[in-house]
Amino acid sequence: MLRASVAAEKVGVRSVSLIMSAFMAQARPVAGSLGVGNLPLAEYKGVHGLDSAEEFRDKVATQVVNQIVEGLASYVEVAAPAKDPGPRDIVFRGSLTEVQGHFHYNTWTDGLPVIPPTIEKVEEFLRFTDRFPDEVIGTLLPARCEATVWNVAVNGVMAGCRPEYMPVLLAIVEAMAEPEWRIEDAGSTPAWEPLVIVNGPIVKELDFNYESGTMRVGRQSNTSIGRFARLYMRNVAGLRAGRDETMEKGVIGTTFSVVLAENEDAVGEIGWKPLSVEQGFAAGQSVVSVQSVLFNSLILLDTRMDGAAELVRRIARAWGQGDIAYWSPAGMYYDKWFPLLVVTPAVAKIFARDGWTKDDIKQYLYENCKTTAREAEDGPGIRGTGYSLCQLVEEGKLPREYCASADPERLVPVFRRPETIAVVVSGDPGVGRARGYTNNHEQGARVSKIVKLPVRWKELLDEDRR
Amino acid sequence: MKNDSTYAAREPVYEVVWPLGRSAAGPPMRLSPPILDLSGKTIGELWSHRGDSDAFFPIIRESLRQRFPDIKFVHYDTFGDTHGANEAEVIAGLPGLLRQYAVDAVISGVGV
Repeated sequence: MLRASVAAEKVGVRSVSLIMSAFMAQARPVAGSLGVGNLPLAEYKGVHGLDSAEEFRDKVATQVVNQIVEGLASYVEVAAPAKDPGPRDIVFRGSLTEVQGHFHYNTWTDGLPVIPPTIEKVEEFLRFTDRFPDEVIGTLLPARCEATVWNVAVNGVMAGCRPEYMPVLLAIVEAMAEPEWRIEDAGSTPAWEPLVIVNGPIVKELDFNYESGTMRVGRQSNTSIGRFARLYMRNVAGLRAGRDETMEKGVIGTTFSVVLAENEDAVGEIGWKPLSVEQGFAAGQSVVSVQSVLFNSLILLDTRMDGAAELVRRIARAWGQGDIAYWSPAGMYYDKWFPLLVVTPAVAKIFARDGWTKDDIKQYLYENCKTTAREAEDGPGIRGTGYSLCQLVEEGKLPREYCASADPERLVPVFRRPETIAVVVSGDPGVGRARGYTNNHEQGARVSKIVKLPVRWKELLDEDRR
Repeated sequence: MKNDSTYAAREPVYEVVWPLGRSAAGPPMRLSPPILDLSGKTIGELWSHRGDSDAFFPIIRESLRQRFPDIKFVHYDTFGDTHGANEAEVIAGLPGLLRQYAVDAVISGVGV
């Protein structure tokens, strides 16, 4: 909502922004990144939901309104911004230990040791792209800082990536820089993490793990590139807590996700399409897809490997009507939701053997995963908007099936659009399991980008590995 | 036992570059002129549709009306959800709506 305040200020309309205490530390740097560091703020001192109705009323009518009046009447000085270092400026000299201390003090790291980003190391990464180092890939909110080829390499060095990962790192940042990805919301309270999914020849070229422990730390490519994604969001998008202020408001939070690589041998064997093709790319292209993940499900299947109809029924019951149903209302309201189902090759083979495609699985989940209208209207994303499902249908914001009657116990679909559910084949080929991943709706939409390789890619890989 | 100062003297020194991004925020913007008296002014309400934070607005309206009897309000429904899936469109439409309703100041909330 600070962006709305700034939009008003830009057309000469004075603003004051209401902020709960817990978000004050985030409000100032976000306002600064929008170019209005001294935006008037009115703070509600307290924790939302803990104050009684009388306390709330009294605080708003007095403290908050006093600040509103003062904020609208105040004269505010404009402070000159500090000058940023140049890309090749040396900002610190020291031993490995001293570099770690400096980076930790400045919150330039995620708490783990970093590889010191020397010019020499950065230039090793730049060999693996034909793009100019100062090319601006995009401007990343909330810090409103430039994502450049150079600083992608810097953070890739720090994360412990290998230089040949550079084309993948660039594709990840291109995805994050897309407006539909909404990186500006990556510091929101639900605390989601980016998940990178890789398809195409790059999976084997860079030795991604797509078998046992596919989503576990261990393999350098999966782990360091996953770490890079979060580190880059911290350092260039500004999503980190500083000493006194923060742009990051993940209330409890989780940790970085390792890269998920699809097993395209298994996919090809059963005649399914890889995720990259479903996202609109040609088969055989190396593609990166990046989306938010808020939480993952329990393991959805056990050792019983019945036919496809029974497998999908158990997946629907455990996932589609479990915790993901609780998070579905915002998907109904915003019409942007990108759930992800990971199945091992053994599960995929059973589905394919019984004539099921990925689309059939998605359609089944759409038709059979339901929640009640009452739970949806009381769920996150709809509760508090003042809307009922029937009102949303009336306004053309939801399909008619969400208001078949006025009965609050009527069942409505958890998944609004089957085509936005992704099914990715990965994991131990010898065991049948599945796991669901829930994204945070319009925040971190699934965006896919081609991995652009340098002209001398094969030659550089061979040189590097000799 | 190794002498610590000898070891420190042999430890490599790293010259490192900045890991952050250059700011694209541009020069800081001056705020719009302050409003010293809200009597007779039109206040636009901008709401982020987060939780039940709309509960602020009726109380704010009532309290401001007691202090400034001629104050007017343009309800947040007029402007749209400032934090939803269509935020970019809503924000792009704000200047026109603020002009249309002759809004003097906005109260934008709520950061929850």
